[in-house]
Amino acid sequence: MDNNFLVIENISKSFGDNKVLENINLNISKSEFFGLLGSSGSGKTTLLRILGGFEKPDTGRVILDGTDITNLEPFNRPLNYMFQSYALFPHLNVFNNLAFGIKENFTQKEIEINVRNIAELLSIEHLLNRRIKQLSGGEQQRVALGRCLIKKPKLLLLDEPLAALDKKLRSKTQLELTTLQKKLKVTFVFVTHDQEEAMSLSDRMAIMKNGLILECSSPEEIYENPKSLYTANFIGIANIIEIYKKDENFYSDDLDINFKLNKELQNTKTNILLRPEKIKIQSINNLKTSSFNSFSGEILEKSYLGSFTRYEIKIKNMIISVLDQNFNSNSNYNFPKGEKVICSWESESIKVLED
Amino acid sequence: MKNKLFEKYFIFSPYFWLVLFFFIPLAIIFKISISVSEWGMPPYQDIFLFDNGFKINTTYENYVYIFSDYYYIGSFVNSLILALISTFFCLLIGFPLAFFIATSNIRLRNMLLVLVVIPFWSSFLLRVYAWKIILQNNGILNLILLNLGITSEPLQLLYNQYAVIMGIVYTYLPLMILPLYGYLNKFDLNLIEASKDLGLNRIKTFFKVILPLSVPGIVAGSLLVFIPVVGEFIIPEMLGGSDRLYYGKILWEEFFVNRNWPGASALAFSGIIILVLPIVIFQILYSRWSQKNEI
Repeated sequence: MDNNFLVIENISKSFGDNKVLENINLNISKSEFFGLLGSSGSGKTTLLRILGGFEKPDTGRVILDGTDITNLEPFNRPLNYMFQSYALFPHLNVFNNLAFGIKENFTQKEIEINVRNIAELLSIEHLLNRRIKQLSGGEQQRVALGRCLIKKPKLLLLDEPLAALDKKLRSKTQLELTTLQKKLKVTFVFVTHDQEEAMSLSDRMAIMKNGLILECSSPEEIYENPKSLYTANFIGIANIIEIYKKDENFYSDDLDINFKLNKELQNTKTNILLRPEKIKIQSINNLKTSSFNSFSGEILEKSYLGSFTRYEIKIKNMIISVLDQNFNSNSNYNFPKGEKVICSWESESIKVLED
Repeated sequence: MKNKLFEKYFIFSPYFWLVLFFFIPLAIIFKISISVSEWGMPPYQDIFLFDNGFKINTTYENYVYIFSDYYYIGSFVNSLILALISTFFCLLIGFPLAFFIATSNIRLRNMLLVLVVIPFWSSFLLRVYAWKIILQNNGILNLILLNLGITSEPLQLLYNQYAVIMGIVYTYLPLMILPLYGYLNKFDLNLIEASKDLGLNRIKTFFKVILPLSVPGIVAGSLLVFIPVVGEFIIPEMLGGSDRLYYGKILWEEFFVNRNWPGASALAFSGIIILVLPIVIFQILYSRWSQKNEI
């Protein structure tokens, strides 16, 4: 696969004294669905706008399919941008919104055919004569998508593509968007602040913070093996425990237990990540506390989530989150509040964080 | 209950205003316009006579008089043309300015808005008089042109229709900019970016997106300039010459020089009807159109 379809090279950008992007480097492959994830102010939207041509970077280059597009105007770039607000033209109907970008270079008949095809692809044929204000949020999103895809762009940029939709519609649209992207094989780069959205859509994703890319990898890799404390906290629920070397093992003051790691460590003091679903929770009667990788604690809170139950377990000075799959159909399987339990985990589940 | 009553009448207050300051004066003007003129004070006869029984004393002669003399119609046409040209230039200058103000950052925007409004803080007469000083034969502009060697003798810049147009455009520009700004302020700038993203350059984006979506602001600003300029009296009087007669000047002369109140009233009433009727029709059609187009 062509790994250099979209190359972002040393991009920096400041607004006044405010450094928004610092030396961003990214390589995105052809037909990849790539996510930029970050909280507000992380610079993700600015990066997307630089790709779209709406902002000029202070330094660096953007190369798309072998061509340097850094200094091209938006109307000369072979890519399209889907706005968070959709930015549909209120004075035109759906047909003319879809046809907006192809009116110049096509005959009336070709326009007609192209619009029908794209409308069919997105199942919006019945809306062509409607005004924009007569559309629901989901319909508007499809028109915005269609208006871009009709131009057959090499690259589609999406700014928070699902943020304006309600929750139920969002998960449905998520699936449709991935299916569509795999079908059309267009390269998608999107921006989101929603980690679930990033995880479910992306082939690969980059975590951004304060204008820097912290990590860039597949969602699985980022969830299971985050490198930084920030990423570990940002993606999913994280139990972060500070440990330090004590004799041959690692010890946590907060939990007052020893950890056994399955790899050697450089530092004498570090943070580790323990995902809540990796922790096994058992009744105190069943097992004796082992001296490694387990502790006994008291259930402080519990919330039943259907397929899972989430427990907050208090041990010494810390509260550890545990997600327990509701494997048994017997409702008594759940542990009541206040119950003493034993939590344990495999040593492979302990992930050492770099900072 | 008392509140309900208050609400009920409160919503009629604009109509009350309209009746008091538009329809009643208009009715008085209409009454005078159908009166028979005479020498005296007031210079017209009553329309209801009670001397030898009740008699209605009206005439349409005043209307015949003004419509049969091209002097009056011509001046009205001159004023319409003047208003059209002035509105066009106000739009040409005002639109880019309003757009620039609406799209600049908040600090610059507030400063520019103050600059637009500042002329209103000084007297209208003084501002027009200032132009007289600038444009006259030994005025600042001619002095600069002479000293730069661009002309060898002073140019006649004052007392012609161009000076009038310039004065009107200068005076009425804020009335164009402010409603346009009010409208463009709400303009979604993403639409411009979307248009560019879809392959339209700046000029095409202007004509396909910005202009069609600005129609309500353009209409509001243009009406605000066009209507008062038709009746404008002071600017043509101070900056204009004898090359062109305008409606406002003729009205003034009929009222105060010729003391022909019925004739002047007929002229004023006809002017208002000719001006307001098409605008009312236009407004009705336009509001239907904009409802249909959801702008």
